[in-house]
Amino acid sequence: MFAQGGVIAAVLIPVHVLVQGILGPLGVPVVDRHYDTWISILGNPIVKLYLLVLIAFPFFHFAHRLRYLLVDLGVPAAKSVPAQVIFYGGAVAVTLFTIWLLLTTAPLSLG
Amino acid sequence: MSAATEGATRVYRRPMPSGWWTRRAHYFWYIVREFTALPMAVWLLWFLVEIQRAQNGPKGYYPHSSTGFVIFSVIVLLFALYHSVTFLSLAGVILHFRVLDRPIPSRLIVLSQFGLWLVASAVVAFVLVYFGR
Repeated sequence: MFAQGGVIAAVLIPVHVLVQGILGPLGVPVVDRHYDTWISILGNPIVKLYLLVLIAFPFFHFAHRLRYLLVDLGVPAAKSVPAQVIFYGGAVAVTLFTIWLLLTTAPLSLG
Repeated sequence: MSAATEGATRVYRRPMPSGWWTRRAHYFWYIVREFTALPMAVWLLWFLVEIQRAQNGPKGYYPHSSTGFVIFSVIVLLFALYHSVTFLSLAGVILHFRVLDRPIPSRLIVLSQFGLWLVASAVVAFVLVYFGR
């Protein structure tokens, strides 16, 4: 999960940040700028699956990296089992929340 | 080994000064690389908020548009690009393929990863803008 999350974060996150975080607010007509286009694309099952992969996998990568960042910065407690539960449990929680959000936000639609 | 000897055995831990990563540029950029996970995680959490806001209906939905958010996204983009460049560059070290019994040069593997990144970015950007019209 660490490697897959790293690849997905490397390949997909920059374009989302650029388009939805910078170009959209600056006036480019991006899909999430209007409710009707956003809810329409969120209903697509392929988009739901894509968003789950985009969000869930990187969080397992982030959890691992941030835990070892703390170890590198002199926090040995980050190696402990409770720390592992917090970091990887956090990634699991984000994954479950994302699944719930995607299933409840827009009805499934192939249109 | 007796219990007394076992109890006397201690693991030597070399003391590491807390600011070790500021001593060399290489160490500093290593820590920056590890740190990139945090801003990207925060941005993805924002992204979840954007999805959640769609539950509010057409009158309750509003996307982030503030200057502060754009500045935040620019900073996140810099970290995300640093993660992409460093992570995809490692592919040449990690991945090993052979074609006709000859190893593919690591440089070619890295180039293919960057090519994949470029194509995926173009496709995602096209979809995000095309369906926004």
